[in-house]
Amino acid sequence: MDTEYILELEGVTKEFPGVKALDNIHLKVRKGTVHALMGENGAGKSTLMKIIFGIYTPDRGVIRFKGNPIKLHGSKDAIRLGISMIHQELSPVPHMTVAENIFLGRESTKGFGWINRKKMDQEAGEWLQSLNINIDPRTKMIDLSIANMQMVEIATAVSHHADLLIMDEPTSAITDKEVERLFAIIDSLKKKGVTIIYISHKMDEIFKISDDITVFRDGQCIGTKAAADLTQDTLIQMMVGREIKQVFHKEPADIGEVALSVRNLTRNGKFRDVSFEVRKGEILGIAGLMGSGRTEIIESIFGIVPADAGEIYIKGRKVTIKSPQDAIRYKMGLLTEDRKITGAFLPLSVKDNMIISSIDDFTVKGYIKGKLANDMCRAFVERLNIKTPSLNQTMLNLSGGNQQKVLLGRWLMNNPDILILDEPTRGIDVGAKAEIHKLMSRLAQTGKAIIMISSELPEVLGMSDRILVMHEGVPKGELEREKASQERLMELAYS
Amino acid sequence: MRKNKVWALVFIVTLIAATMAGCGSDKKNASSNEPSDSAKSSSSASAPADGKTGGEKKKLKIGAAMPIFDDKWLSYLYDSMKKAASENDVDLVMVDAKNDNNTQLTQMETFVSEKVDAILLVPVQTEAVDPMLEAAKAANIPVVVVNRKPNESALKDIYAYVGSDSLVAGTIQMEKVAELLGGKGNIGIMNGQLGQEAVVNRTQGNKNVIAKYPDLKLIREATANWQRSEGMTLMENWIQSGEKFDAIVANNDEMAIGAIMALEAAGKLDKTIVAGIDGTVDALDYVKSGKLKVTAFQDPMGQGKVGLETAIKAARGEKIDNKMIDVPFEVITPDNVDVYFKKWGK
Amino acid sequence: MSINPNESVAVSPSIPHHRKITFSHLMNKYGMLFVLIAMVILMSFLSDAFLATQNLINIVRQISFVGIIAMGVTMVIITTGIDLSSGSVVALVSVVAASLAHPGEYPLIIPIAAGLCIGICTGFINGFITAKGKIPAFIATLGMMTAARGLALLYSGGRPIGNLNESFLVLGKGTILGIPFPIVMFILIGIISHLLLSKTKFGKYTYAIGGNEQAAKIAGINVDRYRIMIYAYAGLLTAIAGMMLTARISSGQPSLGLMYELDAIAAAVIGGTSLNGGIGTIPGTIIGALIIGVLNNGLDLLGVSSYWQQILKGAIIAAAVLLDSRKNKRA
Repeated sequence: MDTEYILELEGVTKEFPGVKALDNIHLKVRKGTVHALMGENGAGKSTLMKIIFGIYTPDRGVIRFKGNPIKLHGSKDAIRLGISMIHQELSPVPHMTVAENIFLGRESTKGFGWINRKKMDQEAGEWLQSLNINIDPRTKMIDLSIANMQMVEIATAVSHHADLLIMDEPTSAITDKEVERLFAIIDSLKKKGVTIIYISHKMDEIFKISDDITVFRDGQCIGTKAAADLTQDTLIQMMVGREIKQVFHKEPADIGEVALSVRNLTRNGKFRDVSFEVRKGEILGIAGLMGSGRTEIIESIFGIVPADAGEIYIKGRKVTIKSPQDAIRYKMGLLTEDRKITGAFLPLSVKDNMIISSIDDFTVKGYIKGKLANDMCRAFVERLNIKTPSLNQTMLNLSGGNQQKVLLGRWLMNNPDILILDEPTRGIDVGAKAEIHKLMSRLAQTGKAIIMISSELPEVLGMSDRILVMHEGVPKGELEREKASQERLMELAYS
Repeated sequence: MRKNKVWALVFIVTLIAATMAGCGSDKKNASSNEPSDSAKSSSSASAPADGKTGGEKKKLKIGAAMPIFDDKWLSYLYDSMKKAASENDVDLVMVDAKNDNNTQLTQMETFVSEKVDAILLVPVQTEAVDPMLEAAKAANIPVVVVNRKPNESALKDIYAYVGSDSLVAGTIQMEKVAELLGGKGNIGIMNGQLGQEAVVNRTQGNKNVIAKYPDLKLIREATANWQRSEGMTLMENWIQSGEKFDAIVANNDEMAIGAIMALEAAGKLDKTIVAGIDGTVDALDYVKSGKLKVTAFQDPMGQGKVGLETAIKAARGEKIDNKMIDVPFEVITPDNVDVYFKKWGK
Repeated sequence: MSINPNESVAVSPSIPHHRKITFSHLMNKYGMLFVLIAMVILMSFLSDAFLATQNLINIVRQISFVGIIAMGVTMVIITTGIDLSSGSVVALVSVVAASLAHPGEYPLIIPIAAGLCIGICTGFINGFITAKGKIPAFIATLGMMTAARGLALLYSGGRPIGNLNESFLVLGKGTILGIPFPIVMFILIGIISHLLLSKTKFGKYTYAIGGNEQAAKIAGINVDRYRIMIYAYAGLLTAIAGMMLTARISSGQPSLGLMYELDAIAAAVIGGTSLNGGIGTIPGTIIGALIIGVLNNGLDLLGVSSYWQQILKGAIIAAAVLLDSRKNKRA
């Protein structure tokens, strides 16, 4: 059976506890084309790709591949049918050769399990050659650049006789020149009749190579259009959609003197020449795509990974910050992006999680004054409306929103002048989100300087007095609250 | 940062001090270093001697592959080998395997390629001797194993085994205890590390004797892993069990001393006979004071001397009737303890 | 402690406020205490001698040495580390202290100071290599285990060192108000370590480092420094145990403390210390040590063969770890 479409999705739906990741998706991919998927982080692209590659199974809906409905149980099934995926993060076996990686799990043998190395090297060489990739199949993976590893993965996919190749942000970690090479290979794949689904945030790339573009937003498929029919502006329009009216509890605060200022901060390979300042009472939003250097900047300001160059001034005085201890000494606090990995002590109690950074305030000669600590914690539990049966409850048993509030409490106990919040409301429920927003507003009113990173445009627009937009490690501009709009932000972030 | 540096300095100074203290005491304890020095001198000193006597008759050359020079008991064995070598005017080359099987194998192969006339071997591990013996056998060089008894299959390939039989040790130890008890009483046996040849055979020797006396009863047997501290703990628990022990028979002296300390603390030492094996210097003190009634002396000088003499016979191609040559254990009691103090040079 | 019910603490429906005290909850929290009590009851039925005062004193004294070491090891394990060097450090402390404790040579303070110093230094090195060298604790302390045993053999020439000062022997044989000195120290160090771990900054930081090292750094904890201090404390306790053991057997021995590290780790794990870090208490470890002590003593009293003793000990350790992993899964 022959059809025009290699892949057709009908009503595909996937729910995770609490979120509808994909809602009734209809999507058709034409054979032999490059089909781009666009959308904000969390719009559902990655989930959809995982479904097509067999990692997730959809709750509802039909997937047709080459006209036939398919049901995948794991990525092995997908590969067998001719669907391959180049992941954003490559995972080669570093100490094996290119050939061994290509044929991992299906090595040619001479019998008795003896590996026929010569034959493998030769075949691997042929596959690489067919794509004009110039890599010796006997090289160890670990000695290759990221771009070359990617090439090897593409060759691997091709060697599996893939008809459909999914590429998830393949250019996020390679140089411009290597991007050119990648595009040449994509071209030659297209000529061989391979269909490519291409996920990227980079508009220029997308317009350069794709035939069709599908936009996702909030788990929904907004529409598919031929690339030729779109302009950058119309594409952004599709991505942003209608203004979602959401109330943010931002109240005006008196903006005072400069609390923190950063001059030409640079960390090699992550961001460069970042300068900004934040004043008392002000909320500075930092926007940008994942990987645009947002988190890395605040990592450097907080001393987790010191910057390579540039200066940091606190209240006009130049400071050197080499470790979080230094940052805390300068009265900074940091609510990190990933609560579970870099914030919470899950096996410890709510109380211990709260007091850990300000422990000296409760400690006399190393000995913790239990009552003082309890009173303090209780006050914060009340003030932040943290829902926990007791202060001794294990952190692990709290909901995400409450964990986040406990961590916020940790830094508030330290009474910082500058509070840095990295994705403060990610993954927490609407109620807790509103409470945190209200709290941020109140804190600003008491004269604290707040830096907030967020991937959610409405949040950034709703909460910030000023917004710094980052793109690939470089600040693209600052927007005042009054002048900021989703379209303007997107333009800068995707430029 | 500064604090870290201070700490680092303290640590380095301490480490150096500790190392130097270690070396210092090692020199004080001259005997432990002695074998390596004298081993060198004996082989080099023999070169001119060779020239003197050389001529009509070739001087015999014997290789001695030893497990570890830095061992108190073995050092007496090495010294007596060397003494016997100079008395018999043979060339003795002694090497140290530093307790490593592989090193020992290499050293054996070197002896073979040097075509020595006979090899004396104290194995690092008795289970690992087969490849060493094969190398020697192929070159037709006789091997005399000393002190540590290899397994049955290996015994076929060697010229002789010179050593003290663990079974005999257990037997004479228990016999002396039986005699002191008048052939009647409750016995507890303390084992060394379970599974070792010495533990199995010493204990078997004990049990063989117990079986001969109908009124001797083995009421407890457990391991204290050769350790004084564990012997003490085990004895405490046995005392608490309410059983009445007339004798504690331990596989070595250290465990016996541990038992003595526990019995003494409980005020029961005068009613209990304690016996050990080895005749260490510490143990002799306890024998002298009458707390340790019996120990069996394994004679390093005897094993060294007999070992070397057997190697000479092997080198000359003499036939021997029995390849199992026993250098008997000797029973030490308060009556003869002074003799053994002298043997240890005290 | 519980929150005053009058306070307006809202309770989310996902967390049951009036948590019923269920059997499994009790087992999780006090499981090993129940096991200990059950073992004591069982042993007292099986052997009349078991509950005798002298026997109970013996059990505690016998386990006090490993028990003291286990407290330090507990802290180390809470930080997701491990200390394999304890047994060998016991030996090194033993021979060095003994060599300085001959009658009429030095005042008592010298061997004790030397012993403590060795303990702290070896612990410091363990911690330094682990924290600054970023080498897994397993490897770092494995190295120390080999090196310290080697040093002990070198220093002593492989022989026991006897003829010790009477005043030094008090450390192992003396009594205070009729209680053997090692037991007094066991209790004292138990209390100090418990307070240290539960009531001080040092303790909170220990849990925090084990609970989430990355978060600990960002929370402003000097992780390296505290890690080193924790290993040094473990070394200090090991040295105390080593000297008391030396005094108890009246002899400094290079073969002392063989496998103590494993008994200490076993005591900590049986007592509920999680090898994944962040979880563990001193009372738990003391219970763990007592379980091992009761087991050893009881089986000796009953005359159970040494082979079976090893098998039973292994089974109990495996069961404890199983319980621990079940507990973690539930949470």
